[in-house]
Parts: sequence; C-alpha cells; structure tokens
Amino acid sequence: MNNLLLYLKQVMKISTLAVFITILMTEVLSAREATAQFRNKVNIRLEGDNALTAIQQLERQNVRFAYNAQQLGLDQIRIADRTLEKATVEEVLAYLLDHTDVMYEETKGFVILKRKQQPGRLVGRITDERGEPLPGANIRIVELNRSFSTDGKGYFTISLQPGIYSMEVNYVSYQRQTKQGIKVGEGSTVTANFVLRESLDALNEVVVTALGISRQEKSLGYSVGKVTGDELVKVPQENVLNALSGKVSGVTINQTGPTGSSVSMVIRGGTSLAGDNQPLFVIDGIPVTSTLNNVGQFGSGNAVDYGNAISDLNPEDIESMTILKGPSAAALYGSRAGSGVVVVTTKSGKNAKGLRVDLSSSTVFDVPYKFYRKQDLFAPGSRSITPDDVPEGTILDLPATVTTGMGIPLDKGIFATQWRRPEYANEPLLPTEVVGHPDNFRNFVNTGLTSTNSLSLSNGNERMNYRVGATNMTNQGIIPGTDLNRNNFSAAGQFKGGKNFTFSTNINYTQSWADNRPAGNRGTNVLQYAMQMPNNLDIKEFENYWVTGKEGQEIVRLYEGWDNPYFLAYEVKNAFRRDRIYGNMMAEYQILPKLSAMVRMTMDNFSERRETKIPKGYSGEPNNGAYGLGNITNYERNTDFLIKWNDRVGDFAYTLSAGGNEMYTKGTNISNSSISGRGLISPNVFTIKNIAPDNLLYNSAWSQKAIQSLYAFANLGWKDMVYLDLTARNDWSSTLPKNNRSYFYPSASLSLLVDQVFKLDPRASSIKLRGGWAQVGNDTSPYQLLSTYNALEPWGTTTRYGKSGTMLVPNLQPELSTSREFGTDFGFFQNRLRFEGTYFVVNNEHQIVQNQPIPSSSGYSTTTLNMGLVQSKGWEFTLGGTPIKTAGWKWDINVNMTRTRAVLKELAPGITRLPIWNEASQGSASWVNVGEEIGNIYSPKEVRVTDPTSEYYGYPILNAEGRWQSVSREVANYKSGNFNPDFILGANSVLSYKNFALNFTLDWRYGGEFFSDTERRIRNNGASPRAYEKEIIDAGGRTGKELSDWLKTNHHLFTDDGLLRYVGGPTRDMGGYHAPDGIAWDGSFAPGVLEERDADGNFIRYVEHLGQGAETKWGTFRQFDTSWSFPQASILPADFIKLREVSLTYNIPSRYLEKLKIKGLAISAYSRNIMLWTKAKVNIDPERAFVPTTEGDGRRGIQMRQGTEEFNIEPWVMPMGIKLNFTF
Amino acid sequence: MKVYGIILLFLMGLFLASCKDLDEMNIDPNGIDPSIANPSQLLPTVISRSGSAVTNLGFGDISGVMQQTQKDGWSGGHNDFAWQSSSHNGVWLSLYQNLSDSKEMLHKAEEANNDFFRGTALIMMAYNFGYIADLWGDAPFSEALRNDEGIMSPKYDSQFDIYKGILNYLDQANTLLSKNQSEYNTIANGQDILYAGNVSKWRKFANSLSIRYNLRLSEKESSFAQANIGRILGDPAKYPLILEVADEAAFAYPGNNPSSSWPTNIVGNTDLSSDYHRRKMCSTLVEEMRQHNDPRLGVWANRVELPLHLDESKSDTYDNVEDVVFTINGETTTVRCRVIGKGVADDYVEKYDEPVNYNLDFIGMPPNWTTLSLFAYNVSPVTYQGRPNPHCSMLNDIYKLASHELLKSRMLSAAEVHFDLAEIALKGWGGNASSHYNDAIRTSFETWGVANGYATYIAQPGAAFAGTLEQIITQKWVASWSATCEAWFDWRRTGYPAFETVGQGAKQEVIPIRLYYPTNEETTNAEKLRGALSNFEDTRYSLEEPDNEAFPVMKKNSAWAKMWLLQGTSKPW
Repeated sequence: MNNLLLYLKQVMKISTLAVFITILMTEVLSAREATAQFRNKVNIRLEGDNALTAIQQLERQNVRFAYNAQQLGLDQIRIADRTLEKATVEEVLAYLLDHTDVMYEETKGFVILKRKQQPGRLVGRITDERGEPLPGANIRIVELNRSFSTDGKGYFTISLQPGIYSMEVNYVSYQRQTKQGIKVGEGSTVTANFVLRESLDALNEVVVTALGISRQEKSLGYSVGKVTGDELVKVPQENVLNALSGKVSGVTINQTGPTGSSVSMVIRGGTSLAGDNQPLFVIDGIPVTSTLNNVGQFGSGNAVDYGNAISDLNPEDIESMTILKGPSAAALYGSRAGSGVVVVTTKSGKNAKGLRVDLSSSTVFDVPYKFYRKQDLFAPGSRSITPDDVPEGTILDLPATVTTGMGIPLDKGIFATQWRRPEYANEPLLPTEVVGHPDNFRNFVNTGLTSTNSLSLSNGNERMNYRVGATNMTNQGIIPGTDLNRNNFSAAGQFKGGKNFTFSTNINYTQSWADNRPAGNRGTNVLQYAMQMPNNLDIKEFENYWVTGKEGQEIVRLYEGWDNPYFLAYEVKNAFRRDRIYGNMMAEYQILPKLSAMVRMTMDNFSERRETKIPKGYSGEPNNGAYGLGNITNYERNTDFLIKWNDRVGDFAYTLSAGGNEMYTKGTNISNSSISGRGLISPNVFTIKNIAPDNLLYNSAWSQKAIQSLYAFANLGWKDMVYLDLTARNDWSSTLPKNNRSYFYPSASLSLLVDQVFKLDPRASSIKLRGGWAQVGNDTSPYQLLSTYNALEPWGTTTRYGKSGTMLVPNLQPELSTSREFGTDFGFFQNRLRFEGTYFVVNNEHQIVQNQPIPSSSGYSTTTLNMGLVQSKGWEFTLGGTPIKTAGWKWDINVNMTRTRAVLKELAPGITRLPIWNEASQGSASWVNVGEEIGNIYSPKEVRVTDPTSEYYGYPILNAEGRWQSVSREVANYKSGNFNPDFILGANSVLSYKNFALNFTLDWRYGGEFFSDTERRIRNNGASPRAYEKEIIDAGGRTGKELSDWLKTNHHLFTDDGLLRYVGGPTRDMGGYHAPDGIAWDGSFAPGVLEERDADGNFIRYVEHLGQGAETKWGTFRQFDTSWSFPQASILPADFIKLREVSLTYNIPSRYLEKLKIKGLAISAYSRNIMLWTKAKVNIDPERAFVPTTEGDGRRGIQMRQGTEEFNIEPWVMPMGIKLNFTF
Repeated sequence: MKVYGIILLFLMGLFLASCKDLDEMNIDPNGIDPSIANPSQLLPTVISRSGSAVTNLGFGDISGVMQQTQKDGWSGGHNDFAWQSSSHNGVWLSLYQNLSDSKEMLHKAEEANNDFFRGTALIMMAYNFGYIADLWGDAPFSEALRNDEGIMSPKYDSQFDIYKGILNYLDQANTLLSKNQSEYNTIANGQDILYAGNVSKWRKFANSLSIRYNLRLSEKESSFAQANIGRILGDPAKYPLILEVADEAAFAYPGNNPSSSWPTNIVGNTDLSSDYHRRKMCSTLVEEMRQHNDPRLGVWANRVELPLHLDESKSDTYDNVEDVVFTINGETTTVRCRVIGKGVADDYVEKYDEPVNYNLDFIGMPPNWTTLSLFAYNVSPVTYQGRPNPHCSMLNDIYKLASHELLKSRMLSAAEVHFDLAEIALKGWGGNASSHYNDAIRTSFETWGVANGYATYIAQPGAAFAGTLEQIITQKWVASWSATCEAWFDWRRTGYPAFETVGQGAKQEVIPIRLYYPTNEETTNAEKLRGALSNFEDTRYSLEEPDNEAFPVMKKNSAWAKMWLLQGTSKPW
C-alpha cells in the first residue's frame, strides 16, 4: 500500500512536469505551422525600387504571392533604399507596405495583397424592457469570435472591417438575442439597439458548481440551490448563513442564540453520528470549515458561544452562493463534503467597465416586543396566604431569600414586609403593598442596534480588473452590555497575459471582536437572573447595582448567592478578537483551444484570542472573581491543479478533466485560567500572574492533518438533450492507518431534457428528468489510532498520568456515504410556472464514531470505532410562478418544501443505543436506538395501570404518600418528542412595480418538539402560568363519593398521557380545597390508584385514590409540582412561522441621478426574523433550542445540545431597518 | 510567454513541495506514548483515585445509609436510599477505570520485570475488585479489562469467583513483595503516595486485605475462610499485618486542586447549600458516642451552635436568644441558648411528631426523618433546604477544608484489622478477642489524634469489652467514620449495629444491601447483565420496586435483591 502511495506520488510529480513541458512545446510548434511564408528568411537589397519590384524580388526567393498589381497600384509606391539581411518576409512586407493602403495576409500558403478598407463603426445601446441600461452586457461578433461589453450606461461602440456580421447579446438572467446580416460599410456607422427580456428559463441559467466550474443548470443531474449576492444583502444579516433561511429547499438554518451566536446549517438532515453535520464552505476555492463547536468557558457557569468563524464572511462581498446538497454535487470536494458544500463566489471587477464605486449603509433597530411569560398572580412563597388565613394583626412577610413558589396574591391590596435596597436597612421595615411587576424582563432588555457600512471600488479592462472593498459592522445587543464588531477588507484582481494566460488572486482580511459576548446556559447568563427576578420586586431597583457609598465593593442583591442581572451584564466580560486572513493565487493557461490547465494555492489562517474577566461579586466565583485567557489558531493550506480537455464530435460534446489537491491543516489551542471557583489572588487584577499556582488551569495542544487527493471527471453531452457526469476521486488521509488510508469514491449523474427529445405542447417550455448516484469517503480527526497517557492534575507535588478512558482502534476504516437522488424540473408557459422535485436517499455507513459508551468493565468507558448506518430519506419541492407580468407590474413567488427523516439502521454488534445528550437529574435525554429516528427525546415515565382489561386502565399508580412514581427514562425508553421538524416550508415573493420592489421570505416549520429547561425551572419555581393553566382538574368543589364518581366518569382528565393532572389549585377560586393543615385553600391530591400487596410483596388489588376516604393523601398545591421528576410538561411543540425577511426597495430612476453624477441609488426599508406564530405559545423561539456547553456530554465533543434550551430566551424582536445603496 | 511559464512552474513546484509524510503527521504530540511510559507514572493515579472513589462513596451516600450523617437538602440518595440504576454510575466507572490503570501498570511492570510494581498493581486490583464484588455482587472479572483482546462485552463472574480471584492476587502480591527492601531498587519513592516505596508496608496491606475478604466470606463459606485465615495467622512472619497506625493504608489529601481536595471542602464555594452545609450529624451515631463521652465525636462534629432551652415559666410563644446558667456535674456554666416557651415546643412536636432535642453539646438529625422540610428539624429557623441549622451538629470545621492532617482517604486502618481479628477470635479461629478489641479502639483513638482519651474511655462500662459480636461490630461501625462502606458490609453480614427503625422518608422500610447495576451496563452490556441478574434472589422489598409489566425492567436490579453472599442467610433482615 505504501508502495502504491509512493508510486502515485511519482505519478503526480511526473504528470505535473509533463503538463509543463506540453505547454512549452505547443507554444513553439503552433507558431511554425501557422505562418510558414511570413517566417521565411530572405535577403533583399532595395535601391530605387517601388513596391512592385520589391515584391518581385521576394517572388524570386520562392515566396508565393497572390495580388492584382494594377488595382493596388503597387508600382506607384516608392520605397526608400535599404538592405535587409536574414529578415523574415513579414518584416520585409511591413517595411514595404505599412503606412500604405495595401494590407497583407497569409492564407493557404500564399501571401495575399489587397487594399485596406476604412473600418466601419457598429454602435448601439442595450437596455431592459423598462429602458434601464444594462451595463457590462456581453456582445459577441460571431464571425470574428470576439466579445465586447457595454459601458456603464449600456452603450457600445465596435470598430469593424467592412463586411456582414452576426451579433449575439447576452446578459445574466436575460434572454439571449441575436441579429444577423448586419452590413458594415467602409467608414460608415451602423446602429443596432437591443432590448433584452428577462430570462425566466431557469434551466438555461448558469450555476457555479464544484471546483468553481460554471455549468448550465440544464446539464446537471442533481439538485443545487443557488442564491445571488443581491438576495443575500437585501436584508442585512450579521451572519450570512441567516440570509439563507427559507430560501433553499433541503436546507435547515438555526440561529442558536443571540446575535453573533453560532448558526447551524444542515443540508438534507444530519446523517453523521460523528460530527455536527455542518457543510463545507468553499470561498473562491478556499475551503473553510464551519462548526458549532465555538463554545468556550472560563470561570464557573460561564459558557460563551463565540459564534461561527464563517460569520467572518462579508455578505456584501458575495456575488453568488451555490448549495451543493448531496454527495453527487459534492463528490469532487472529497472527505469534508459529506454534509454538503456551499460554493461561494465573491465579487470581482470582471464586469466593471471603468471605475465603479459602490457604497451601502444600513441601520437596523431590534425592538423587543414579546417575552417569555411568567405568572403574575402570586408573589413568591410556599403557600398562597392572604390576611384572611392568618390571625388579625399578623404582618405578612415576603423574605428576600424566598424567590420561588406561589405565595401572597399580587395586586390585591395586600400589605407585607418586602425586600428593600441595603441603603435603607437601618430604617424600620414597614409593610408595603404587594404589587406585581410583569414588565421586569421587558424593562431589562435593550433595543438592539446594528449598523453596516460598506464601500467598494472596482475597475476593469481587457487586460486586467480589480475590486477592493471595506465593510464595517457594529452591533449593540439586546442583552445589556453585549456587542459585536467586524471589519472586512478584501482585494481581488485578475490579470490577463495575452489571450491564453490568466492570473488571479484575492485576499481577505477580517477582524471580528467584541468587548462582551453573552453567556448561555446557566450561571453568568444574565437572562436567567433577569427572568428569575421575583415578580413582587421592580427590576429597575437593581440597575444601580452598587450599594450607594460602597461602589465597587458591595452589590445590591437579594441574598448571598443570588446574582444581580445588571451586575452580570455590565461587569462580567467575555471579550474576543479574531483576525483572519484568507486568499488564493491562481494561474490558468489555455494551452490549446481545447486544452487548459489551472494551478491554485489557497490559504486560510485565523487567530482568535478569548479573554474573560469576572470581577468579585459573581456568586459562582466567590474568591475574588475569575480570569481566563486563551488563544486558538488554525491554518489551512490547499494546493490544487486541474487539466481540462474540451471537445465536440458531431452532436457529442465532452469535457475531460483531471486534477489533484493537497490539504494541510494545523491547529493550536492554548488556555490559562483560574480553576472554576478557586479564583484570584487580588480582585480586579486580570493577569495570569494574579492566579495562585495551585489555582491555575493551563493547557496547550496542537494537531495537524493532511489529505492528498487525485481526481478525474467527465462531462458528456449529446445534442443538448442528454448530459452525463462522471467523477472519480481518491484520497489519502493522514488520520487513517496506513492500510486503510487510501479510499476511492465515484459518482455518476444523468440529465435528460425531455422537451428536446419529444416535440411537446408548446406550453411546456422545459421538462427535465435527472438522477444521480454518488459516494463520498471520509476520514476522522487526527490521533484517533493510538491512545496516549493523559496528564492528570498533580497530587501535591506528585505528577500523575492515567490511561485514556477511550479505546482507540488502530485499524479504523474510512467512512462511506452513498447517496441516490432522482428529480424532475418543469417549466410551463414560458417558464412562468416552474416546478422542481427531488427525492433522495443517503446511506452513511462505517461511520467513525467517537466517545461511544461501552461497558466500562471492558477496561474503557468509551470507544472510537467504525459503526453505524444512518439512512436519511427525504423530499424537496420547489414551486415557482410569475402570476403577474405586465409592463409595470411583476410578481414572482417561490415556495419550497423539505421533508427529511434520518433513521439509525445499524450500530456495532452488542451496541444498540447511541447517546446524543443527557440532561442530568432525570430530566430529558436524547439518544437513538437502532431502528429509530435521530432526534428522539426521552424522559422518565410515570407508572400507570397498563392492563387494558382493568377498570383502572391508564390510572397513575401512586406511592404510599399519594404521589406519582417514576420509571427512569432509560428503563421506560419513553419517547416524548423529536427535535427534527416534520417538514419545513419556505416562501419567497418579489412584487415589483416600476422602480418599487416588495420582497418577503417566510419560513414555516411543522412538527417536532423541544425540551425547555427554562420552562422546567420557571415551572419548578412556581413562576410559570402553564402549571395552573394546564394541570389543574377543577372538580367544582365536589367531595367524597361524589368527587370520586365524577373523577371516574371523567378519568380522561388524568389518564391522558401528556400531563400529570391533579385535583386542587393554589386558591379556592382556582379549585383548591382547604388544605389538611387548615392554613390555606391550596389543598390538592393526585388522582390514581394505590397498590395493595401481601406480606410477601405480591400484588393483591388496586385501591382507589380519588379523594374519597382516608386512603387519599392530600397535600398542598405546590407539592404537586412535577417539573423535576417528570419533565414531559416542559417538552413543547416546536412548530413556528417566521417572517424571515421583508423589504421594500425603491430604485431612484437614473434620470434624476444623472445631474448628481450618481449611477444608481436604491433605498430600502426592511425587517427580519419576525416570529409570527408558535404552537407552544410560551414565547420561546423554538429555533433556538440549543444549549451551549463545554462539557460535551460525552456527545462526541459537539458543544451544542440540539432540541433543548436553558434560558435561551432573548425576547422576540420587531426589527426596523433602512438601507441605502449608492453606485457612482 | 516565458514569464507565465515560470509562474506556472513555480506554482506547480509549490504543489510538489507541499506533499507531506502522512505517517509522521499522525503521531499525537499531546500525550505520553504508552510504549515509552513507566509504571511509576501510573502508581499515584491508581492509589489516589482508588482511595478517593471509596472515600467519596463511604463519606457520601453510605455514611447516610449507615446513619452516621444525614443531609437536609437534596437528601434522597444520602438519607433515604432513593437510588436507581443511574445513581452510582460514577462509582462503577471509576473502580473499573482504576482497574484499567492497575492492569496497565501490571503489564508495564511485567515488561520491566519489576516486582514492586507487579505487587502493588495486584494489590490495587484486589482492592478495586473487592469493592465491586461487595457493592454489586456478580460482576465482570475474568473477562473484564480485556477490550484490547477484543472482549467488548465482558461476562459476569459469580461473586464468589471474584473473591477467590482477589485472594489469589493478594497471595501473589505477598510473595512478590517478600524480598528485602534493598532488592527493589527502581522505586520512585515520591510516586508512591501511600507508603513512599516501603515494601513491607505494602505487604502488610496485602495480607490485611486478605483478612478483610476472608472474613467477608466467613458465614457463607465458613471452612474456606477459616482455612485461609488460619494460614495467615499461623505464620505472622510470612503474613505480616497492619497492626499499628504507622502502617495504615491511608493517605492525606494535598488539596492543591479540586481533584486532590477533601470531598466536602468549601474552598471556592461559598454556596450556603454546598455539600458541607447540607450535612448534619445523624442522631444514631451521636447518641451512641455521647453514651461514653467518646472524644472522637468532637473531632468529627461541631457542637450545637445554639442549644435550645425550654423555659415553661415563660409565655407559650416565648422565643429569645439569651444566656442560661446550667449546673452540670456540680459546676455552673453559662451557655448562650435559644430559650423557647412551651407552646413553641408543642407546636413543633405536633407538626413533626418529633421531640425537641435540648442537648447542649451534640445533636444529630434522626435518620430518614421525613419527606418534607428536613431543614425544619429541631425548631430550626431555617426556611430553605441545605442550610446550616443552629440547633443541630454540623460536621467539624476541618471538613470544610481542602487539606488537613486528619483528612485522609482511609483505605484500610489498623483499627479495622484489630476488629477483624477480634471477631475471628470470637469465632474461635484463634487469637485473643479482648486484646484485639482494645487495640482496635486504641489505634482508632490514635489515628484521630485523641490517644490520651483512650484509657478513660475503655474503662467505662459499655465501652469495656463485653465479649459480644454486637459490641465489636458496633464499635467497628463507630471507628469506620469517613470509610463507612466497610460498616455497611459488616451490617449486611451480621445485622449489627441493630438500627432500630427506618424513618418515613426512606424509600423502603429497611436499609438496602447493595447498589443498583449502573445504567451504563444496562444500556451497553444488557445481555450479560441479564444473565447475572437471574442469580439474584427476590425479596419482598425488591418486588416493590416501582415498575409494572409495561416496562421489562430488570426487576432484580434492586438494592434489596439478595446477592450470592447473602442468599440462604437470614441476614441482615
């Protein structure tokens, strides 16, 4: 195997050399062939000759001429005396005839002399149907095979020798037009104007596919998604991935948290058990990996999501994005393309004709308008006590330490002693009215502000073009104290050397930084404490968070161990700064008309510094706060080449290509921080030196990896009817063992244009059938073959090393993903009605699964091994139409729909379950059993009568205290949800009238559930209204036998599996009974049955527990809170409809702008991400059901738990934005 | 054109230059390659983690079960044995992890032909397997730790086979460690955090463990155990034992980072509901020790912060903190108390059905007291679970620390060996029960720094040896403080100490006898585990586990199902 590798390396070297030699040889050979007569060397002495005699001298030296001497008047041309030795014929003729009206050319072995003609001029203007100019439109003179383009106002002027010409005019997304028989006379000017019609013929559109190759969409045997740069910036987004939501079928986008958080993009459902299913981004040939693993944590409970590095990509710089969905489309990108590829093409100066300046500016205000809803009926407390329940004269107390429960009713004019700021501690504590503050959370958050300013310059001519751009983005978060900033600088240039050589390069530099990013999860998450503020207190009282006179020392708080949300927001700082440089250099050479070669090198390099400062005062870091400083770097280099042969034989056109790539990547990670809770030596001194040696947590690690690849592909087409693509690729990865290092994978796809094959009804504009089959192999992360001893924390001064708990397998094999897809595209009525449908099946097998739990008794608790087959099946549909199209009006609408289901078909022998994440304390968990769908959520289950013949079928079986009993989720295997939607539906609409355009994008996700830990905790705190809205059975005050009969009749109220309902309530009005202790009207009990057993423990019979007799164990309302032991009440439907984008744009007509010397000006107003509806109705965004965690949960190192959230409760916003675009 | 040719050639040159050696690239630079590692790098890991695992359990849930401490917040696992299969995943995991490291050390020692590390590795394997057999019963043994050989789902061996295997390991270790100290010249003493490379102490540890496990088998396999014990006691030169504190298998926590700190420390944690603050002394232990003025109680527990005092002369609702003068043994002392009227006391008694405890020195919380309001114990003013209670004894302040000379993982004490020998003598298998009993208490007093209180203590009636097994085991239970697992196993075998009742908070009305097999095994090794469970004996308590027919729960995976060791015995209930 090693020999084979060496051999292939040799082949690589030799073939590279061969290409180079070929280039040089052809250069020489072709020159000789083409100009044999002209290159002949002659000796000539001119003394008093005229042109005729001089020509005759040449004829004597065997140069063959053809001319009419008389007509040309050669003898009238005087020649100055001169002797030329060993000069070429061409040089001699130039001496003789330049500056005369006689021209010479060589044809078929003769030098032909003829009269020069005065060139004519072909002028005109190209506009669209509205009369707007189309700058940069392409004009091809067919006979000359030369192309020209229009200027900024759509005009063109072409000088031509007299003759009859054909013209072809092209403009992106407009229909091609031709004019034939245009006669250009000598010295005359001919005008030819073109009015182009917009092309609705989607199939003729050109898309950028793998390796940056532009293809006509009709020739593709697979489905691709495409989004133009214009669509991405209509509504500005901080992370460009957000702009894809709802626009492309088969793609799921989730923003996992507040602005600047990681955005998840999953194409065709996740099939990888090993990774986070994020696609590979290829920006101008530069592969950039996106990941959800962006969470860092310094200090206890301070998990911060620093956001995807892909957000460094500046939306303003993007020309187009193509989403290659399945492996068929991505086969050429190799290992990392298993989850799809997003090919990004950035803007260049290619289309610029003369200097062009673009300036855009946008500002958006995110106005919070909807908030997670807490109950506003009761202040905290264990019992809902009113003055009626206590002896006359008793002063009710609401102690500051009690922040949970349902106590004294709010807003009923009840007085009690309550918390007050410490400044007033010495004044007598007088009872005050217990008043609710339902707007605490609203008052806490800010209006977010994002502004983006962008400037670009571009210019170009025949030989070169360039574009330089700069963009600045600043954001002030909705969460107080948070920000995000970015500067992008980009430069791209292309230089043409002669007709055949092109050199291009681009380089991008991005700085992203923030002084403070919000923490998620629990701990320093400010939303947690803002939400948990007791509702009898005004949050604004905490805004001035220092105790007056003790600034910097004492914080206003309810009690020691409680955190002031304002203090957390403004004093805990999680800063980062990322500097990123990426770019490429590329040379292309057209060796022969049919043969071209390309060599390219790309680089992506970033360095990210993270720094956390936690001052004294945060309860999780009681020892003078905490400090952490870390640095992460990543470097990736790709070098590739591609040789392409392009030819046509009759109706058969083909392109054959071969190439190779070497990828090398290296990452480093250094971090230093105080150990969680151990703190600093002195407060407010944030240096590593201020951490005592025993309290210092330090780590450094680095890793590297390389993949070498060779590939070849063929694109075959017959008569514009049938297209066949074949690809083959072989990779050699450093991460796999020698014997399995090399892996090969092919693909094939076929496109059939039915409308070209059969003569169809003319109303059917196009019908295409397509199908593809593809494989992609995949490797793993570095160092997965041999486990090393890990260093543990030292024991005093003794160093400790331990065996890894993970069993590594030295003979890992590559993963293999096989996909099939079939689809069809239709266009009717000149493509005013369009349809695309695709069915796909992806089998991802041999997956390299890390951290798979195995019996720890085997000597390891987890293992890395090849196992598993995940099958993902799905449908994608796009239905588009142009219902209105008149001179002024146009309405375009597209609807896309996606349904994907991924099922775990196999694991390794003896392994039947794959954990995904695990919420501790018997909360919810996600795992997959073989045969089940990925995304299932499990929770503990209550014990019920399961014998269908029993009269108590479905009744809860209660324990001796009359409480529900639980069976652990592992044992019950009780599925209580799935975090994937049943389907996703996106709709885009563009309605335009003259210079106005109204555009919107909708996103509807149907089905699926998520586990809200916010709801669980708020419910447990007694602050969720859902608890009493949904779980109380109001028995209308019935008692005794009447009650138990009524309950038996209405047993569906508590035999329904969804919720655990109980009879009673917090007050008499809400169904409560007089409690057993007689203190308040919050008596309640759980309806069900008890088990009676004999002395040996054998079951005898069920005893009713329905409120009758002494069997029934009564308790107080709050004692029936089940949020901790039975989390299913906090598993909520994830359905929602969002208005992703809406914008209204007005293009100011150029006639108004010309005086101002402005070429274009557009003004738009927009909004985005407006939640229209959720099924759960708790005002949590189901899209954000993600928990950032650094624990990894044993979940293969993925730092995002999907399908659950913890205080990820940024309010819903109504953004209001305005954007100006200038073109000079 | 030449220029472009050169550019192209240059770029292709870059391509060729970039081709790297893929083999070298995949060598992990971030850890130690096992092939060049030394067993001494593993020894401190194995010792510290083994001791910590057992201490965490013994000073954790088991000290609650054995009624030495109780918690008044998040108390289900500690007070009430509200366990299930997920409760002790971590214990199983860490014991097998220790075994994995020990076995690796054994391999390394065999490669290097190093008898010291071979011997110590075998002892640590015996120690960890011992706890596995004790805590669960049948468990993977012969096929365990053999993933490298392709055994991913090891079978379960019978509990007896594991004990026999352990005794075999210990025998081998005793032989391997029988040479003169000078013959073991390759020990890095600093790495041996237990005995600093002292071979004879390791040897004593091995034989003392043999005594422990033979005694464990003494009822079930009486003649087997008697023969083994006889062999050991018959040749003290060949089988030396831990008989003095200096030889104890115990190591202190250095406290230099969280993993090397005492488990209940509150360094870096001012949370008032931290594990330390939730802890209260349990009345069972407190009252037992108060009977004989045991000086160790003051080492382990704090005195009540604010004693209660009933003053019937005051109004019913009287409730005030003030100085009260008491006459104790003829001496008057002034004690700051919370003085309450009769009504306050009666209200409490009525509400909780529990008498008010007016002790001035130490007060423990009753075991498995109630399901609700644990923090309200003894007229407590505390309103939230897990907070310090001024009317109940907290653990001694030293248990807040990360490191202290008394804060040790006590893997095997001299006191335990003497108690074992006293019991053996009582069985008539040799030795003098009375002197071992006295030595056991003496060494326990020594190890807790109260040696000068021994003479007074042992002279008291009740403390002086009375010749009963109950007295030996009860004293052994007291001495097992912070290493309480051993007391649990003794109770299970002998029924002593005879705990009177189990309170209403408990999951069952009797104390459990084992841990549940962990969830990890249920989900990853289900088939082998089911086979092992069929060997368990149902009891009426195990049949009451909450489940029903819809869930094919592994019903016998219950803390009340009898393992082999207890089958056919009437113990403990």
